[in-house]
Amino acid sequence: MLIQDNLILTRSNPSGQGGTQFLYRVKDYGLTALSGPQEEISMIHWEVEIIKFTSQKTAEFEVCHSTELADKTLKFYTDKSLNEFLQKAFQYFEELDTLEKMLPQES
Amino acid sequence: MANVKGAAVNRTAVDEGKPADWIPGTERQTVVDPMEMFHKLPREKQFITGSEAARESMRRANIDIAIAYPITPQSESMQQAGYLYDEGYIKEYYRAEEEIGTFSAISGASRAGVRSLTATSGPGLMRGMEAISSWPGARTPIIMLNMCRVINTPLAIQPDNIEMSFMLNTGMILLHAENQQDFYDYPLAAIMASEQVDVTLPACVSTDGFFVTHARGPVLITPEEFKLPPRDGWRSAVPAMDNENPPARISRDAPIQKSNFISYHMHSSWQQEVFAAVHRSAKYFRKYLGGLIEVVNPGAEEFIIASGCAVSQAREAVRQEGEQGRTVGLIKIKTIRPFPIAEIVEAIQGVKRILVPEFNQAGWLHKELCAVLYGKSTAVIKDGPRVYGGMTMPTEMVLEALADFRKEVP
Repeated sequence: MLIQDNLILTRSNPSGQGGTQFLYRVKDYGLTALSGPQEEISMIHWEVEIIKFTSQKTAEFEVCHSTELADKTLKFYTDKSLNEFLQKAFQYFEELDTLEKMLPQES
Repeated sequence: MANVKGAAVNRTAVDEGKPADWIPGTERQTVVDPMEMFHKLPREKQFITGSEAARESMRRANIDIAIAYPITPQSESMQQAGYLYDEGYIKEYYRAEEEIGTFSAISGASRAGVRSLTATSGPGLMRGMEAISSWPGARTPIIMLNMCRVINTPLAIQPDNIEMSFMLNTGMILLHAENQQDFYDYPLAAIMASEQVDVTLPACVSTDGFFVTHARGPVLITPEEFKLPPRDGWRSAVPAMDNENPPARISRDAPIQKSNFISYHMHSSWQQEVFAAVHRSAKYFRKYLGGLIEVVNPGAEEFIIASGCAVSQAREAVRQEGEQGRTVGLIKIKTIRPFPIAEIVEAIQGVKRILVPEFNQAGWLHKELCAVLYGKSTAVIKDGPRVYGGMTMPTEMVLEALADFRKEVP
């Protein structure tokens, strides 16, 4: 099982292709972890997107390929490896939020 | 063949490579009351595929015999059943040669009074339909797992639940699992309901292939040390048959084979009893599953009514509508037979719009709802979105259908 820290939503794959999606959020950033169906069950894996939320109150977000974490969809083949990544990513999102707030705001 | 002693086969577990002190898994389990298993035992959350959820359900189901013929996407589950046989949780298991043979053989096993399981998918179900149709009248409480798949030409192996419409009027109990959790819970509940003396009917638990069977989801499962009570073949509407001394004629009602008024009358009353038994099973599902339906946002002005994977997509659409400040209701139908007419009628009092999304071309659930709600509701019942042939139903599709529906019926 994936860790539950910062987990804000568990839902069926919204694309309708089956499987389960987990949404994690730390401040304005987060990530989605999707485990979809595979004809060969041993090939089941996690597809992870770094995301940036567009609303404070809802689970609306956009895929974000402009952080240092990832410029593409990431793949993880075990829960253990993804959990390790999640822990590091949560720290990164905290720091990113702090750094962004230090930047001068565009008028 | 583990621990079987018979005239032709007298092999032991040791012959099969097991250690001398090997104990079959089922003998290490403790029987518990079904209500204890369904509602009281602690549960552990696992993240497993629908096929693995089926395996864990079978592990706790005290199954005497399983017979199946492989077909995608059912094969993964019955491969898992093979592991259970090897571990001693299923007492007998073999691969039949095709589906008519499979479903005929499992019928014989069930008539002998033992708990019998089979599984299939789309075209396999169609091939065995003649045998399946004979199960309810023979009062055989078989449990069948059905992993839905396209049946039509051109060939496809993707999910599509049109095959369920072929079973609606067989006299079987039919359940439709939304997700991996349901595919763990429903077979156990179906077994216990189907074997009640005032039911004694076969039960089929369907789920949408691949979306559930080949994908992982969270499943809360009970400890594997506990299993359901065994089947008592003598406690049923039609007593078990002694297959060591079979009757001269297999038919239980010889006069029914004749063509005259009496035979027609007998056949008619027999069918009435089968379908009445389907209705009688409802009270057990209310106990075991906590109801025949699940209602989200009761009292809403508009509802989505769905079964199977369409519920998952509708569930997310309802959540997103909620984020936008709109309350949309959702009714998940757990049991297709018995169809929960009274529960649905009660839940939709005052509702203006009912949307019915489905994963099949025919829209069998929409037709069913229109038929049973005629004269009982003033709501407009609209079919859609409908996808089939393996197509997916993104949440946006449900949201668009809701928006269009609001314009059509303000």
